[in-house]
Amino acid sequence: MIADRVSLELKNSLSELSALGSSLEQFGEALGISSKILFEISLSIEELFSNIISHGYTDDAVHWIKVAISHEDEMLIIRLEDDGIPFDPLKAEEPDCECPVEHRKIGNLGIHLSKKFMDDMIYERQRDRNILIVKKKITNT
Amino acid sequence: MEVVEKKQNGICILGLLGRLDSNTSPEFEKKIFEVIEDGTKSLIVDFESLDYISSAGLRVLLKATKELKRSDGKIVLCSMKEYIKEVFEIAGFVSLFPIVSSVGDAMEEF
Repeated sequence: MIADRVSLELKNSLSELSALGSSLEQFGEALGISSKILFEISLSIEELFSNIISHGYTDDAVHWIKVAISHEDEMLIIRLEDDGIPFDPLKAEEPDCECPVEHRKIGNLGIHLSKKFMDDMIYERQRDRNILIVKKKITNT
Repeated sequence: MEVVEKKQNGICILGLLGRLDSNTSPEFEKKIFEVIEDGTKSLIVDFESLDYISSAGLRVLLKATKELKRSDGKIVLCSMKEYIKEVFEIAGFVSLFPIVSSVGDAMEEF
């Protein structure tokens, strides 16, 4: 049986990435998503999740990040919710991907990759929480 | 994630196995900087058995190539799966490294 929705509550720690990755993989494989599309989704979610961990918090307390994975028609939908400082990835500065190696910076590259790989990204600030919904078309065309 | 080190004709080959992500890239960073500090100037990173890379892995490669350029060294990447190469293309990293199809071809870049 294929679950319609998987919900996770993860700590703001990189060690949670493997739990997140395997949940995504199981969900995706049950839906028959191709390994290439699943790779693009996994990479995007890793980038967005690790971005929350690295930049979202100014204290050392444990915070919980809610992740919900679902699907609708031909889309896989991932919703990330955190109580970090307001951050809209859609407004993040685009990295310069042309300049020579000496001047190349890595900042925002992860967000750039996830924007390119996902088909849709919606950000909302609700009270003191960041809500990010990302969607990826999962049919092979 | 595993990094396998080999030496051939004075060229150092680092073979990557598994996943190069936010969790495993510090281990790769440690290894690549070890060989650079040991004086390696010609470095091949073999992607044949690498299944996954994220920006954390790209960051290590960028840092390492900047370091090597200072000593006139060079990194060549090889045997990348097509979907991994796509990450390099989107990130604009294909202009930073020679990317070739086999270790043999990589050896000829030096």
